[in-house]
Order: sequence, then structure tokens, then C-alpha cells
Amino acid sequence: MTTLLSGLPPSLPILGGGIALLLLCSAWRRSEARAILIALATLLLAFASLWWPLLPWPGDPTGMLFVPDGWFTYIAALILLSSAATMIMAWRETGTSSDEFYLLLLLGTLGALVMAGSADMVIFFLGLETLSLSLLGLIAWHRTHPTADEAAIKYLILAGLSSATLLFGLALSYADSGSLHFAAPSLEGPEGPALPLAATALVLTGLFFKLSAVPFHTWLPDVMEGAPIPVASFIAVTSKIALFAALARYFAGADLLRPDAAGTELAIVAVLSMFGGNLLALGQSNLKRLLAGSSIAHVGYLLLALLSPGPFGLTSAAVYLAAYAAATSGAFAALGGASVPADIAGWRGMFRRRPALALAMAIMLISLAGIPPAIGFFAKTYIVIAGVSARRIVLLVALVASSIIGLYYYLNIVRAMMEPAPEVHRAARGTPANAGLIAILAIITVLAGLFPETLVRQTRSLLQPAPIMREASLRPAAPHDILYRE
Amino acid sequence: MIALPALILLPAAGGLAAWLSDRSRQASSLSWWVAITTILLQALLLLVITRTADWGHGPWLAHFSAPWIPALGIAARMDMDGLSLVMLWLTTLLSFPCVILSARDVGERPGLFNLLLLATIAGINGVFLATDLFLFFFFWELMLVPMYVLILQWGHEDRRRAAIKFFLFTQGSGLLMLVAILGLVILHQHATGIVTFDYFALADTPLMPTAAMVLMLGFFIAFAVKLPVVPLHVWLPDTHTQAPTAGSVLLAGILLKTGGYGLIRFVVLLFPEAATRFAPVALALGVAGILYGAWLSLAQDDMKRLIAYSSVSHLGFVLLGIFSGSPMGMRGAVVQMVAHGLSTGALFVIAGSLQDRLHTRDMRRMGGLWQALPHLSSVGLFFAIASLGLPGMGNFVGEFLTLLATWRVSPPMAILGTVGLVLSAVYSLTMVGRAFLGPPHAGQGTTHTPPPADFGPRQMTVLGLTMALLLVLGTYPQPVLDLSLPAPAHATPQPEGPHP
Repeated sequence: MTTLLSGLPPSLPILGGGIALLLLCSAWRRSEARAILIALATLLLAFASLWWPLLPWPGDPTGMLFVPDGWFTYIAALILLSSAATMIMAWRETGTSSDEFYLLLLLGTLGALVMAGSADMVIFFLGLETLSLSLLGLIAWHRTHPTADEAAIKYLILAGLSSATLLFGLALSYADSGSLHFAAPSLEGPEGPALPLAATALVLTGLFFKLSAVPFHTWLPDVMEGAPIPVASFIAVTSKIALFAALARYFAGADLLRPDAAGTELAIVAVLSMFGGNLLALGQSNLKRLLAGSSIAHVGYLLLALLSPGPFGLTSAAVYLAAYAAATSGAFAALGGASVPADIAGWRGMFRRRPALALAMAIMLISLAGIPPAIGFFAKTYIVIAGVSARRIVLLVALVASSIIGLYYYLNIVRAMMEPAPEVHRAARGTPANAGLIAILAIITVLAGLFPETLVRQTRSLLQPAPIMREASLRPAAPHDILYRE
Repeated sequence: MIALPALILLPAAGGLAAWLSDRSRQASSLSWWVAITTILLQALLLLVITRTADWGHGPWLAHFSAPWIPALGIAARMDMDGLSLVMLWLTTLLSFPCVILSARDVGERPGLFNLLLLATIAGINGVFLATDLFLFFFFWELMLVPMYVLILQWGHEDRRRAAIKFFLFTQGSGLLMLVAILGLVILHQHATGIVTFDYFALADTPLMPTAAMVLMLGFFIAFAVKLPVVPLHVWLPDTHTQAPTAGSVLLAGILLKTGGYGLIRFVVLLFPEAATRFAPVALALGVAGILYGAWLSLAQDDMKRLIAYSSVSHLGFVLLGIFSGSPMGMRGAVVQMVAHGLSTGALFVIAGSLQDRLHTRDMRRMGGLWQALPHLSSVGLFFAIASLGLPGMGNFVGEFLTLLATWRVSPPMAILGTVGLVLSAVYSLTMVGRAFLGPPHAGQGTTHTPPPADFGPRQMTVLGLTMALLLVLGTYPQPVLDLSLPAPAHATPQPEGPHP
């Protein structure tokens, strides 16, 4: 019992308790205001609990179910904040307001946290399925819309398929090593490399499906388009953060600098995601689909950070996740607040009609494009530092080239917003809560971009003793290097 | 010296004030006054900096340093030497025509216009001062966004394509420079174990020749896009042609000079050996730019396009001077940059005014303007002659010095460069002949429309001062020549004040 519970982060039971309370309350009498209050209070409490280590943690992840290390604390904070942002976006939104909506969001958040903190395959899979199942309900929320049905069916089939693939991979991994520890199996096992290779490939395929990395991305634009805006934000931000965190944990002990099969597959998927995502977004006029493409490209950039172990690798990924979460949540909140059709034509002339909203949207897009003074600029620079430091030349070239494609479509929206307004029609305004959320995210994006020191120091101090980078970071530079003098 | 960051914060704050003052609707000229006051204050501040600078204690004149992101060895460090000072003065002086003369063609939303203009100027000032490579890159990128919006909002008919082309070219090459900067930082870390972006520390990094060459090329390409150097110039004619007058002046006058400044400060001084080995290629590119730009200028009917291609030609001399490897060539390049900034800036003002009055930039539809617009035409003649390098003007000094320095390295290059000078006389005089002299164009002389207004006292004052500066630069270039030799990268400036 002690081994089972040791390491259980207190935020998980808090979220579970919140979900039970919400269920009870809505069974007694339905009220959207009370539902969101309970949900937000739960998130806040869970957030606060990240800094109370109630149960002592032995520090060795083998044989444990959860690893409440610095990486988990950081990722959990991001997950909790971004799902709070999602809830504020959904508040009083036409068609989404209901108790169950917040219930499903809380459940999804719980799944995401479990995934980020799990050290055990079974726990990881439980978290993943909790997230997937609650997402299914959220995607199909507008159940009278044909696009919502299409999106939900697509998600159901592909999520099931990828879960099966993932589970098969986990089973093979167990068959090889006899351990349920959630980590890439070592290739130097007694059985030869075939079994662990197949296991890693299957697990990666399953994870890439959920993470919507190219070439497993085709479902994402359709699902994002069909889902309500807060749910699209939840898929793009919260779920991706959790999956990336799990992916990073899966490869914690592996040496990704060695050119073996797993590293090569990750590198190929990273390059494909950078180009595929950006090219996909380039052709879109629907902003939700465009942001789907952009989120795929950002997964590619994050994979570059993951593939660059060393003093900068994981910290740069952490900073990038924060920058990405703020800007993407902000962009979706702005989409929700605009109350116009989510395509470029609807946003034309926004700087004349709603200057404050247009300015906030421009800040988010500038951050996603990686232009100063927004935080995205520093975050991308940080990732490039990691890449240069690990000498990932091909990946860096891909990052530069695909970023230029990205610039084009982000700026295209800014340009459309600056054009003269077609006709002034009074659109409904978003809720004050949503407006406040947009303002806060815009201010964070700019302030963090001007003064990134705090964020860097936070991530550093959280990840400094991280078990996740213990072996890879100590490895000396590759010997085949011609670039520097002894 | 705290005045250095003030040089960046002042225009930024002034821009915000101008923007806010525009929001109160009733007084639309208020924002212009705020902008002019800001630039006057900037000039005063620069004067104070010049007076209180640390003259006589080595080449570095002023220093400022504050921690910014210490976790990554990034500091808000700025240092000023004579080269920075010359460039800052050029920026400040050219800001006046940008603000004073563009009130007419901006029309609506002057507040936003002034905000963007002053934000660009703040970014440019930062580029000329930063000696932390991350800070430099921050400013380098920062000056692009407002410029992009400026072209997009107030540009001419094909502005969308021009603006995005400008942005993609400069930003794309900027990312290459970022990779080069970080490569240098990481190599420095491998050599010393310290992560730092400090210019002076990085200048001492021991580098293998191959690594130095690769990194140098990363920097070179970014600056070569900006300057521009010939195969990378394709964004420039479109952008210059489509930008509003103030945008063209800012682009041609100052923004291109950040490329030249970067080549001196971050290519030649940071990688001296690699730059020496690369010099033959750079000289050839410079000569190619001179001839190609001049040749295309001959074939243009669009006046702004002609001036844009002539910029490509004139800035080829800057490349020649920088890579000639001698102090004389370096000085010539700096004088050429200043002179080109003044004369081409003025020519863009004239072309913009003509478009404003005649609603065309096509020289086939101009002619005989001297009768209708005597002031404008005579000013046009003056700057066209200055730009072709008549002795007595700054351009002559710059071109002469660079060609002399090139002659010592490679006589054939110098001869080819001189051919470019001949061509520049041809296209400049052709432009004057087609636009200002000759018979009036059929469509405009016989007219029901009233004749277009000539330059008023405001324009004449501003352009007259520019003329005076060019003449002073041409007849007494010594102060600029003395200042313009850049400080070497390893002469670490004396820290002053409480900052380490």
C-alpha cells in the first residue's frame, strides 16, 4: 500500500474529489454558475497543492506508479492553468453552457495529469483513456451539427485505433523486459533488438496519433473544426502538453543523440511535422483549421527540443510549452470572443471594428510566429540553442525553413485584420470573463517575452535534479565533430 | 551611461504618446507634434551623449550594462564607438524628413503611423548600440514588424506582396543569423564552459577555420539581404517602390545601413580571418551589385524603382570598402553609407512628392516639370547630381575612398567599379532629363486641372538642410572619417559606474 501510494501527487485526489462533488451537485440541482465555480476551485486547489509534497518521495522511479518530480510539477501547472483558461472560454458561451461540459473538462484534466505523472504503463494508459473518452464527449458537444458528428466519429475511430496500437506496443514492451515501468525498452536485452524495437515503434505510433504528429495528423483539422472553440483549445493545448510530457518521460533514460531507430523515427516525424503542419496551415482559410496546422508544426519544434538532450533540451521544451500554451489559448479565446465566423474573411478589418481584440490576436500570432517582443521569440530561440548545442543540423534547417512558411500565414491574418472593414455589422461581444482572459494572456505573452528570466529560472530550478535527464545530459559531445578545436 | 537605453526608450515612449494622443479624436495634428517633439528630444539626447562621451580613453565612447537573462548569459549590454555614433546621428537626422514631410500622404490614423515610425527608429537605435548578440538580434527582429505594418497600411497599389516579400526575406535570413549566433555561443561554451552572448567575450572564441567560415556566412547572408548584395536583393525594388514616402526614406536611408553596420561590426570584426579569406568573393559581389544595379536603373520607367536599383548600385561600393581590408576602405564605406542615406532619402522624398502631385511615378508621363515646379525640380537636380558622385558632395568622398582602397587590393575590380560610376551618371542625368527638363508631357500641360503645388518653405527647409549636410560631408569629411573607423572587438571598454 505504501509503495502504491508513495509518490501519488495530492493534485490527483483533489481533482477526483472535485469531480465527485460536481457530479453530486448537478444530480441535486443543475446550475452552470455553480458548476464552473466548483470546477475552477478544484483546479485552483490542485494547482496550489503542486507545491505541498504531502507524501515523501524516495527519488527512484523504478517500481513506482507516479513520479511527482519537477517535470510533473511544471507540466501539471501548465495543464491546470490551460484547462482553467478553457473553462473561462466556455463560460456562457452559446451552446456549450452546461454542468456536464465542466465535468468532462475536469475529467479530461485528471486524465492529462495522470498521464504526465505516471511512471507505470497501466497508469499511463488509464490516464490516456480518461482523457480520450472525455474528449469524445466534448467534441460531439454540438450534437445537432453534422460537422460535430463527423468530428466525433473520426476521433472515436482513430483514438480507438491508436489506443490499440499503443496497448500492443506496451504489451510487447512488457513481454520483452518483464517490467511495467513506463520507459523505452533497452535494445541490449537478452532477446535481441527486434522485440524492443517493435514495441517502441508501436508505442511511438500510438503517441504520435494522439499528438497528431505528421503523418498521423489527418484527423486533427477536421476534429478541431467540428468541436466547439473551447474544446479545440483543450485539444490543442492541454491534451498536447500532457502527451508531450509523457513522450519526454518515455524517452527519459534513452540516449536520443545516438542514431538508432527510435531517434531516427523521432527526427523524421519532427521534420515532417514542421513542414506538414505549416504547409497544411498555409492553405487554410478557416482559422480553427489553421491553428490545427500551426499546432502540428509546434509539435515538430518541440520534438527538436526533445531530440536535443543536454543542458538546454528539456528546459527549452518547458519554456516553449508555456509560450505555446499562452499564445494558442489566447488565440482560441480571441476566436471565441470575436463572435464572427472563424475564417479569415470574418476577421477582415478587425483592427477597425474591435481594435483591442485585434491587437490581442496579433500579439498571439506574433508569439506563435516567433517574433519579438512576444515570448514565442525567446522560446524559439531557446529551442534553437538546444538544437545547436546538440548539433541537430538537419532539424535546424527544417525549423528555419518551415518557420518562414509559418510567418507567411500568421502575418496573413494580421494583414487581413488591418484591411478596411467590409461592412460594419454589430456582432455580439464575448463575455467579460473571456475578455479578461484574453487581456491576461496577451499581457503574459508580452511581459514574459520582455523578461523571460523568471520563466527560465523556474524551469531550470524545477528540472535541475530531474531524473529525466540524468544519463543523456552527462554524455560528452559527439566525437565526429569537426566544428570546434580541442 | 544610462543615456544609451534612453535612446531606445525615448522613441518607443514617444511613439506610444503619439498614438494615445491621436485617440482623443478632436486634435489630429497633436500626434504629429508629439512625434516631432520626440525626435527633437532624441536629437538633444544624442547631443548630450556626444558631449559627455568618454573621448580620449580608447575607441569606445560610452557603455551601459544591466542583467537581463543571466541564466543564459544574456545582458542588456550596449556600447557606443565612433561608428555607432555616426550611424545614430544619421538615424536622428533622417527621422526629421520622415516625420515632417509625411503628414501629407498619411491621411487617416496619424497616431498609428507615428507609433510605427518611432518604434522602427527605436529598433534601429538598438541595433546600432547593442553589444550583446541576443539583444542585437532582438532589436534586429523588432524593427521589422512596425516596418511591415507601415508598408502594408500606407503603401502603394501592390503593397501586400511587397510587404510580405520584405518580411519573409529579412526574417528568413535573420533566422540563419540566429543559428550562426547560437553556433558561436555554443562553440564558446565548449571552449570555455561559459554560456554568454557578450560580443567581446565571443570575439575571443578560438575557432577552426571551417567553423569560422560557416558562422561568418550565416551572419553575412543576413546582412547581405539587408544591404542588399546582389543575388539577395530581389525584395528591395518592390519594397522601396511600394512603401510610403516615409517608409522609403527610412528603408533606404537607415534600414539598409544596418546591413552595412552589421557587416563591419559582426562579420569583419568578429571573424577577421574568415572575412579576409572571403574578401575576394565579397569584392566580386560588390562589383556585380554596382554594375547590375546601374544597368537595371538605366532601363526603369518607374522613378522610385530607378532610385531603388541605384541604391543597389551605390551600396555595392559599401561592400567593396568593407572588404577591401584597409582602414581607408572602411572609412570610405561609412562615408558612402551616410552620403547615400542623405541623398537617396532626399530622392525618395522627391519621388514621393511627385507621385503625390501627379499621381504617377512613371517618368514617361512626366517631363518639363521645371516650369511648373521650379523648386522641386532644382532640388531634384541637386540630389541626382549628388547621387552620381560629383566632387564636392559626400558621395564622391565615399566612392573615391572605396575605389582607391579597392585598387590596392585588386585593380580590375576597381576599374569595373568605376564603370559603374559612369553608368550612374548616365541614369541620374537621364532621370533628370526625362522628369524635369524637356517638353511637358501631353497629358499634363494643357490642362483643366490646376498646376500642382511646388515645394513650400517646410519642404525646402528640410531638404536644404540635407543639401548643406551633403556639401559639408563632401568638402570637410574629416570629422566623419575620424569617427568612422570601428573600434576593434577585443578592446573591451572600461566599465564605468556601479555596473560590473
